[in-house]
Amino acid sequence: MAESASAAEAPRQPRPTGSGFGRVLVAVYGLFALAASARSAVDIATKFHQAPLAYVLSAFAAVVYIVATVSLARGDATSRRVATVAISVELVGVVLVGAASLFFPKAFPQASVWTSFGSGYGFVPLVLPFVGLWWLRHTR
Amino acid sequence: MTGPYSVTIIVVALVLAAWGFGLVLLNRPPTISLLAGGAVLEILLIGFLIGGIVQMLDSSRHFARAEFVGYLVATVIIPPVGAVWGWGEKTRSGTAVLAIAFLIIPIMVIRTQQVWTGPLG
Repeated sequence: MAESASAAEAPRQPRPTGSGFGRVLVAVYGLFALAASARSAVDIATKFHQAPLAYVLSAFAAVVYIVATVSLARGDATSRRVATVAISVELVGVVLVGAASLFFPKAFPQASVWTSFGSGYGFVPLVLPFVGLWWLRHTR
Repeated sequence: MTGPYSVTIIVVALVLAAWGFGLVLLNRPPTISLLAGGAVLEILLIGFLIGGIVQMLDSSRHFARAEFVGYLVATVIIPPVGAVWGWGEKTRSGTAVLAIAFLIIPIMVIRTQQVWTGPLG
């Protein structure tokens, strides 16, 4: 753990991921954590049978957003790794679900956070993981 | 749900968001008066939540009630959480968090109204 932090280059501390621009990024991730978890909770409780796949994916997206929000806000070495994994999963998820919803629209009769690359949320879900990964690199 | 009260909320939230982003451009940390403005907005939103639930219980219309309450509750949660998180950093980034929290409110109110007037989700 300690050796990876000060490996190779001069010993410099990674900057915290939850301050400066990171404070804004955490806020946006938090909004999506709230949006995705509230939406999937209501959808799964009231109309799960209408689009089970879309709603399960919404719930999964909610978990990913919550993990990303918390780990970016904490910003220690472990959290950084967790954030990198969560945001990578988010990127793969939004691209895969976005593409799948275009090619197999019948599997997604109801919109969810990642369908059509997050078009229901102004495509922010598609942009957000790129910004998140950039920020993790930038603060390293 | 769609009357002057919600228009007031939207206008107040937009004014606060514009004020917040103005402070961001001026490179200012979050100010007490911006926070006070947020408190006024929050009081309006609590009224919106209570009024919304009362109107929902009065109505026998068929609409997505769980979603409606979900939007009302989420709308009330956003400003205080944004305020705490934004206030935690005394730079323009903290101000930006507050401004974003205010900017989201009109979207939330309009979505709430769409659920209220719309067909069963």
